[in-house]
Amino acid sequence: MAMLDIQGVTKKFSTTMAVDDFSLTVADGELVCLLGPSGSGKSTLLRMIGGFETPSGGLITIDGDDVTRVPPERRPTGMVFQSHALWTHMNVFNNLAFGLKLRHLPKAEIRQKVEAVLELVGLSGYGSRATTQLSGGQQQRVALARSLVLEPKILLLDEPFASLDQHLRERLREEVRDIQQRLKITTLFVTHGQDEALALADRIVVMRDGHTEQADRPDVVYREPASPFVAGFIGSMNLVDGTIANNVFTHTGFTVPLTAADGQATLAVRPEALHIVPASGVGMAKIHRVTDYGTHAIVDIDLPDGVRLKAMVGEARAWTAGQAINLKPRAFAAYRDNVAIFRSLDNHG
Amino acid sequence: MTALPANDIVGTKSSRRPTGLLLVAAPVLLVCWLIIWPIISAIIRTVWLPDTAGERRFSLETYQFFFSDQYSINNLMVTLWTTAVTALILLLICLPIALYLRFATNRIAAYVQGLAIFPMFVPSIILSYAFIRVLGPNGTVDLLLNAVHLPHIRSPYLTPWGPVLGLVWDNIPLTVLILLSGLGNVSNQSIEAARDVGAGRIAVLWHIILPRISNSLLVAVSFTVLGIFSAFTLPYVLGPAAPEMMGPFMQRTFRDLNDPTTAITQAVIAFGFCIVFGLFYVYSVAKNRAP
Repeated sequence: MAMLDIQGVTKKFSTTMAVDDFSLTVADGELVCLLGPSGSGKSTLLRMIGGFETPSGGLITIDGDDVTRVPPERRPTGMVFQSHALWTHMNVFNNLAFGLKLRHLPKAEIRQKVEAVLELVGLSGYGSRATTQLSGGQQQRVALARSLVLEPKILLLDEPFASLDQHLRERLREEVRDIQQRLKITTLFVTHGQDEALALADRIVVMRDGHTEQADRPDVVYREPASPFVAGFIGSMNLVDGTIANNVFTHTGFTVPLTAADGQATLAVRPEALHIVPASGVGMAKIHRVTDYGTHAIVDIDLPDGVRLKAMVGEARAWTAGQAINLKPRAFAAYRDNVAIFRSLDNHG
Repeated sequence: MTALPANDIVGTKSSRRPTGLLLVAAPVLLVCWLIIWPIISAIIRTVWLPDTAGERRFSLETYQFFFSDQYSINNLMVTLWTTAVTALILLLICLPIALYLRFATNRIAAYVQGLAIFPMFVPSIILSYAFIRVLGPNGTVDLLLNAVHLPHIRSPYLTPWGPVLGLVWDNIPLTVLILLSGLGNVSNQSIEAARDVGAGRIAVLWHIILPRISNSLLVAVSFTVLGIFSAFTLPYVLGPAAPEMMGPFMQRTFRDLNDPTTAITQAVIAFGFCIVFGLFYVYSVAKNRAP
């Protein structure tokens, strides 16, 4: 379909730098998730690609054409908004046909295209329905169909499932992925849900304060987070500040051997990679609480100074609150000055 | 402490209904007493007339007189013309102002809103004299034109355009506020979605914004029409002596000609035109409130 290239894009709102010297190339047919907390600049970036905000600087090209200052109505992009943004005074058919009518397509062709896209999103026969008669999921499907019917080069999705319940969200994201792969449409998806990003994306761009913190495949971002911020943002992560001396990380009795220069560091261990063993004496830590989730259990662990960690175990019954334990991280990383200084060899949990 | 069932706190559906009706009973009774009854009474007084013997009988002769009297028809026509022209000019002026206020994000918008609402605080009589001093014969505009050796303007004062200008100025605040409230229901995202599928500014206005504020347009026009039809001060001070608008016409028939029955007939006819727009308004409100 199309390649999107963003080079050194910035956006400043009075004194706030929303997007700061951001660069990204999205390959033809790739689905990239922009992931980050509120205020990280991901929606602003998407709106600049869609033409709803004008960059303060930088260049945005689609298939080599500079679209940096092209208004949204003349861009080859299609956007799906968080609030669906359907026009309630039009029925489903007219919502989808509106853009085609503006392009003065013959009536028969409009009808054929609308029916095809309704079938694509699983809403065949819904054309005459009022948009207010549809459920939240159906409304979001119509919003997606409205963008797809114009066959945009780039599909932009701005937290499209944020207002839906968890079950529906999971179902719709699978459908979106299927449709995207079937149409091979270059897609940018903004979300602050890590699950959504991990499930959907070919590539995840983790954003923070308007810049890229890490851009890589989902498995790499999950297993080899580039910074403590990414480590903490993607999935559940134990972050412990301590000191490295003589190749041993220490935090009040919790020690982990590694290879790194002496100094302050932050140790990052995922709950599923934090192995716990019963201690014969005082141990490194004590169990605070065990929560059984059926398929697994989460053990809350208190270090002697009150720092709390989480470990994932298979069986809840083997562990009790107050029990003394030792900690043996199987996969971990250490960070200093926001940069990874050590990763354990077994870094795949 | 025992938790009360929800029904005990908020009341059941059946017990809530009389409470709600009781709450609106006082204003409804007042409306019946001060508005509905006078309307019925006025209609009765204009169709149940005394004959020469003093006996009251059903007759439409006051209406026959009104619709056969050219002067009365001219007055009704000038009122309808003033109403239509004023309503049209108001929409042409107020819609762009309301659109600007809805979508502008700069500080100037606050000043524009202040200016648009300002006429609401100026009494009609002051506005009328200000209008005469500025646009009347030998008014400020004439003096300025004279200073640069240009001819006098054709003053709208004492022509049908005099009340039109005054009424437009007077009705700008209410019309802007009504349209602005309607535009508040048009989300930015629905407009952005339209632009995203290729709609330019005109297409967005025509296909998205106007249909979404059609109720507000209807309400604004209804309010304007009702206000203009019953206007007195501005048409009386700024308008021509003949033909005259229905407000001054009724007052003159009642007081100067001492003919209350004919004045009431004129009022009933004016009410007949207003009720159409009143029903539009009620329909619009009911439609918006429908679940």
